[in-house]
Amino acid sequence: MNRWFRRGPPSLGVAAIRTADPVEPAQVRAHPTTEPRVTILRLDHVSKDYITEGQPVPALHDVLLEIFPGEFTALVGRSGCGKSTLLNLAGAMDSPTSGTVYVDGVSTSSLDDAGLTRLRRTKVGFIFQSFQLLPTLSVVENVELPLMLAGNLRVRDAALERLRQVDLYALASRMPYQLSGGQMQRVAIARALVHSPSLLLADEPTGNLDSATGELILELLRRIALEQRTAIVMATHSMEATNLADTVVRMRDGHVEEIRQAVKTL
Amino acid sequence: MPYILLFQRLIVRPLRREPLRTLLTMAAVALGVAVVLAIELAGDAAAGSFRSSVETLTGNADFEVTATGGVPPVALTKLAMLPYALDLDPRIEGFAVIEGSQRTVPLLGVDLLKQADTGGSGSLQDANSIWTGRDLGFRKGDRVQLLINDHSNSYTVRGVLGERSGEAIVMDLSAATRVLSRNGALDRILVKTPSTKPLAEWQKILERALPPGVTVAPQGSQTNENRRMLAAFRWNLRVLSYIALVVGAFLIYNTISVSVVRRRAEIGILRALGATRGAVRMAFLGEAACFGIGGGLVGLVLGRLMAEVAVKVVAATVGSLYVSSTPGAIDLTWQIALAALLTGTAVAVISSLAPAWEASEVTPVEAMSRGRLEHEVRVGQLRRLAAAAILAAGAWAASQQPAMAGKPIFGYIAAVLLIAASALAIPAMVAGLTAASSAMLRRAFGVEALLAVRSLAGSMRRTSVLVGALSTAIAMMAAVGIMVGSFRETVLVWMQDRLQADVYLRPAGPSGADRHPTMSPDVAARIEALPEVAAVDQFRAYEISYEGLPATLGGGEARIAGRYGTRPFLSGARPQSIFAQLPGRDNVIVSEPFANKHHVKAGDVLELPLGGKTVRLHVLDVYYDYSNERGYIIMDRSTLLRYLPDPSPSNMAVYLKPGVALDKGRQAIEKAVAGRKVLVLSNRALREDAIAIFDRTFAITYALEAVAVFVAIMGVAGALLALVIDRRREFGLLRFLGAAAQQLRRVILFEAGLLGLLANVAGLALGLLLSLLLIFVINKQSFGWTIQFHWPVAVLLGALSVVYIATVMAGLYPARIATGINPIEVIHED
Repeated sequence: MNRWFRRGPPSLGVAAIRTADPVEPAQVRAHPTTEPRVTILRLDHVSKDYITEGQPVPALHDVLLEIFPGEFTALVGRSGCGKSTLLNLAGAMDSPTSGTVYVDGVSTSSLDDAGLTRLRRTKVGFIFQSFQLLPTLSVVENVELPLMLAGNLRVRDAALERLRQVDLYALASRMPYQLSGGQMQRVAIARALVHSPSLLLADEPTGNLDSATGELILELLRRIALEQRTAIVMATHSMEATNLADTVVRMRDGHVEEIRQAVKTL
Repeated sequence: MPYILLFQRLIVRPLRREPLRTLLTMAAVALGVAVVLAIELAGDAAAGSFRSSVETLTGNADFEVTATGGVPPVALTKLAMLPYALDLDPRIEGFAVIEGSQRTVPLLGVDLLKQADTGGSGSLQDANSIWTGRDLGFRKGDRVQLLINDHSNSYTVRGVLGERSGEAIVMDLSAATRVLSRNGALDRILVKTPSTKPLAEWQKILERALPPGVTVAPQGSQTNENRRMLAAFRWNLRVLSYIALVVGAFLIYNTISVSVVRRRAEIGILRALGATRGAVRMAFLGEAACFGIGGGLVGLVLGRLMAEVAVKVVAATVGSLYVSSTPGAIDLTWQIALAALLTGTAVAVISSLAPAWEASEVTPVEAMSRGRLEHEVRVGQLRRLAAAAILAAGAWAASQQPAMAGKPIFGYIAAVLLIAASALAIPAMVAGLTAASSAMLRRAFGVEALLAVRSLAGSMRRTSVLVGALSTAIAMMAAVGIMVGSFRETVLVWMQDRLQADVYLRPAGPSGADRHPTMSPDVAARIEALPEVAAVDQFRAYEISYEGLPATLGGGEARIAGRYGTRPFLSGARPQSIFAQLPGRDNVIVSEPFANKHHVKAGDVLELPLGGKTVRLHVLDVYYDYSNERGYIIMDRSTLLRYLPDPSPSNMAVYLKPGVALDKGRQAIEKAVAGRKVLVLSNRALREDAIAIFDRTFAITYALEAVAVFVAIMGVAGALLALVIDRRREFGLLRFLGAAAQQLRRVILFEAGLLGLLANVAGLALGLLLSLLLIFVINKQSFGWTIQFHWPVAVLLGALSVVYIATVMAGLYPARIATGINPIEVIHED
């Protein structure tokens, strides 16, 4: 049984604080609290405006957020509330209008395009709602892609290992159009993890899947976060996803409205 | 009205959204139409010059009386004595070179008292009086230095001729007889008959009155002969000019195919909402028509401009190979303009029929349930290969057929079948090569090469059409390159055999296929008397008409040619034995173009009107000749002089004694001919002259090929642009997955490079086959020349490299677009 609770006074405005919150003996935090408090992702007073018809339209406003290794965070909120914008900033795909985004302690604003590319290659993995597999590459080639783009030559073993983790080793040589939606998303997850990123960003990863398949995908992500200490930030509308998350960040109109941390029963 | 709205929303809006790609496709059509139009206009202007320079001064005569070597004066007397009111206009025709400008213009000697528009009067008595055509730009009273045969004299312009007098120069008949050394013979008598009898009856009356060897033909026959002679040349040029349009057709097909694939879902939705198949089909045909009409209109303007350049090149070729020609005015009539516009539109619409049909066959369920990429055509390659093999077999069968009405129709059919076979075989080739090279490319060039090769293989239809278009253009370029290179090598070898003399002489002034100015006989005598000279081969040429086509009758010193020359014969006979049979007998040898044109072979008999009688000439053999396409009948000089006793040679080949240095011999000859306007050329200079003319002749074919290749490369640029637009999500994704901007650029450039490579491979293979067709079928049937196959390796490598580099460069702009894609936008479009 999970339950949600409102967190105490945050150290960064309304954002998450990792303090030794009192918990009931029968409950443990989803992430160990004994580790050093090193964030893998930190958004420090981040705002983002888009220019539409010459006018700035705020997409994010003064967001403070910290994500720690192995943490499974769900971003929830209505469409257009800024979830995807936050993911793009977190993934070093976009620059904030103001404030700073730190990925593994590095400010994305301090990097040029090549630096941002290097950061993504080493630290970040992406999963999308519509899988985004390249139709012209086989399953294993899709998984190899991030490693190859980073200039690695020996990539096959790593890709197959990731496919094994998502139970798709047997389908390695198939083409994407020969897979089901769930299988495609598992390939996408394997691809996102193949370079062992510290941060996995998922944008509605179950949005195109039926609920049963979606649950399987969420379980898989949850397992990855736990086993590989990969921080996962997932934009979602799925209730199942919020139930599985360590932290739920509720957004509204570009603001972080609420951050809840799940306390799970052993 | 609903259809217009449908068209506007389904077709026009997307076209406006991608203006660069729309413009590139339209430009491909425009260039195709422009080239076709330019060649048509240039051909008309070049061929029309006979009429403008000579015919305009012929008035409204009904008949022209001619004879080989000139019409004897007695013929004029006989006509004058006929009891009819005939209007007789005797004339001498030759050429003069305007010194300074070096323009060669027709020189006419006419009875000035009969010519009202010369305004001649007392100055007629002056042998140095001339009247000039309006286009020459002289004014009354100007002094003009003219080179006529081997003499240069100053003349006074007594007046300017009337409208449409072209570039002719007119002088009095008696003066022309003197300066052209005609010994009283006329070149032509124009006859105007009364309208009391039918023309056929008049022709019989005139023929009865004239001595043997003099012929009567309806006025304008010579022009018609020239036109017939030029027909094959113009036909081949016209076909070459259509290549760019054919390449453009491939690109229209590609553009419309891409449109259909891209808008498959839209089509499905429209069909679900009630659009008929016909409406969908018409929408895409309309898109193609837009390209055709838009491109055609631009092509009209461009073609008119290009014609200005083309007419000079075409006229130079016509002058070198066929007949003296000064380009006439370029006349873009509304009929020609309409035809060009319709051609462009028709090619565009026809090439879009298949994709438009496919669009109309889309069912709503299918369109909306299947992704675009899934729809990429996965054709049965074996079936296509089988069809390609059948077409290739058809091409072989067509290549074995003879010419139709002098035109290599089946040769062209074979070429079209080969191109179609190649187009069908290309998908299999692309699939095979990409599959085979994928792993190797990945190892050698990394992930960018892998993505590029997989993208090409994944869009088989698009890739195949692009490779098809580019390879067709490359194939034509390679084929023409191989043909011209082979021809050039053949001519070089031929010149090695044919040109054995040390020094050659001919009257000064530009040479021409139908111009045979003469030198004074004493020039030969002076040279023969030189101690450095071993032998002088005097050659005299006359323009004749044989079976309604112009030809050249020549007489040379057979004994000298037999002693020194190694002129190769088709039969393989020893030249010495053939030449030994020429003197003292009515034996001739004929050139290969003449033999092919008139279906003459060794052992045949030719009947020629010569010296007042019809002479039967026995053909001993056929010799290889590449000097012009009119064709030669060659006899011994003694035989020629027996029938046409004018000893003035047209040119001379001088053989120096052994041990005499070329420079010394040449200086002695120049000294001997001092004061005469005679060109003294060394063997080497003559060869260089000849090969320069050859290169100039084929310059236009290279230009046409270059345009076709340019059109194809524009198509590649447009297609790569479309590809980038279609795959923007993929490029965005790659950025998410860690691709640097340079990596995306490299993917596009790799794709362009692979397209270029595939097209080069396919183009070279197809080009080799087409070159065999060109050399052994089309050229042989059109012009009658035997060309030995030769690989012009350097030219081919150079041309293919340029095309390859240009293809890669065509990817630069699309690559820039790809790197500028906002990954967030494109990924979240989903």
